[in-house]
Amino acid sequence: MRAVSGMTRRSFIITLLGWLACLVPALASGEGEHHALPLNAQQILGPFTNSTIMVWLAVGLIVLFCRAATRKMALVPAGFQNFAEWAVESLYDFLGGLLGEHLVKRVFWFYGSIFFFILVNNYMGLIPGVGTVGWNTVDSAGKQGFLPLLRGANADINMTAAMALSFALLWFYWALTENGLKNFLMHIFAPKGSFHGLMLALMVPIFLFVGVLELISIAIRPVALTFRLFGNIYGGEQTTEALMALVPAKLAFLPALPFFFMELLVGFVQALVFTLLCAIFLKLICDHGDAEHA
Amino acid sequence: MHSIFFFAMIPILASAVAENPGTFEIIQQTFGLKGPFFIAQVINFFLVIFILKKFAFGPIQTMLEQRRARIADGEEKLKQIEQQLAASEQTTAAAIAKANEEAIRLVNEAKQGATAFTEQKAQEAIAQAQQILTKAEAAAKADRDRLSVELKREFGRLVAATTAQVTGKVLTADDQKRINEDALAQIEG
Repeated sequence: MRAVSGMTRRSFIITLLGWLACLVPALASGEGEHHALPLNAQQILGPFTNSTIMVWLAVGLIVLFCRAATRKMALVPAGFQNFAEWAVESLYDFLGGLLGEHLVKRVFWFYGSIFFFILVNNYMGLIPGVGTVGWNTVDSAGKQGFLPLLRGANADINMTAAMALSFALLWFYWALTENGLKNFLMHIFAPKGSFHGLMLALMVPIFLFVGVLELISIAIRPVALTFRLFGNIYGGEQTTEALMALVPAKLAFLPALPFFFMELLVGFVQALVFTLLCAIFLKLICDHGDAEHA
Repeated sequence: MHSIFFFAMIPILASAVAENPGTFEIIQQTFGLKGPFFIAQVINFFLVIFILKKFAFGPIQTMLEQRRARIADGEEKLKQIEQQLAASEQTTAAAIAKANEEAIRLVNEAKQGATAFTEQKAQEAIAQAQQILTKAEAAAKADRDRLSVELKREFGRLVAATTAQVTGKVLTADDQKRINEDALAQIEG
């Protein structure tokens, strides 16, 4: 009984401290200078922006890890190789359950790349200094601004749009090669189910209309993918920075701390959501159902 | 939290779109979606995919495939070994059964042979014993006959001698013969 009471008291104190940590920014007077992360990526040189640097840093990190993991490949894995194989195989099996053995073998190079790329970029965006270290700028109109040296790649809409559009093009290619043009169009416009006579005549215009809606939905998908990822990651960085700016500089880490844990979760969830949605979109167009195959 | 932040942008954008006709231009300006940056990121993205495929997924997937193939091969070999073991066990069992049958047959034959041999030897022993008995009987009969003849002769001589002594007469050969025959007839009679 005493032990339970002790545990309850400890939980209460921890919860209270957590709440107080969260209340600090609300009670603070707003000391410190807040450099809000701009909505758009900043040009560094030519077509290269501060998010491009992060893209290549992320790629470098992934490649270094993979080189370390695959340098001495052994049939009985250990260390890095074990972890890398676990990560790749888990994702492969997960996507395989969704897409099927044939499709996953064909498209895993894209889905694996996109998942790990988004995940690493999301986590790299959380490294202290990314989005916060930079210099103040003054434009021609005299308006003050802030130019961060590094910017989370997924907090740049050009990157998320590039990924979404690349997927949209590949989706068309895979859908056409898997179905053929006729089946692809039938999949969108043809009535689903078996209708005959008058019922079929009634259903054809309905499904033609549904097909038009489906086309609109297909057109909107890359836009939704782009803004969902961008919005979540940019919003997360902005929230964290805003919270840090609400307290004195020495305590800046405190209100942001709980959000870092949430950002770790968000980074993973967003990578998974982007990958899963892409997989589902492909499955929807390539899936004919067992009954149709039979 | 972020979704709220993201969705909060929607009315701002919507109002901006309503006021200005160039929706795409507004989005471009607001979020910094610029052609050169976008194309650069597309190129970056495909380079990323190429690099990841070459250095990350390629070797790992090859290794996973090798391991899968090895496991499948191992499973196949295990099945073959199990089949061979089952076949070997069947062959061994059949060989043991055949050997058992052969052994039983040999034992039975040996038993039958032994019985026949014993019977034969017993018969031979019986025959030999019979022969010995016959020979013994014949010898005994011969001895008895000889003794009988000798006894008869001695008895006759004694009868003749006694008769000669009692009568005081010299007996002729015919007398002796007649007296002997009478005496023997009385004894045998």
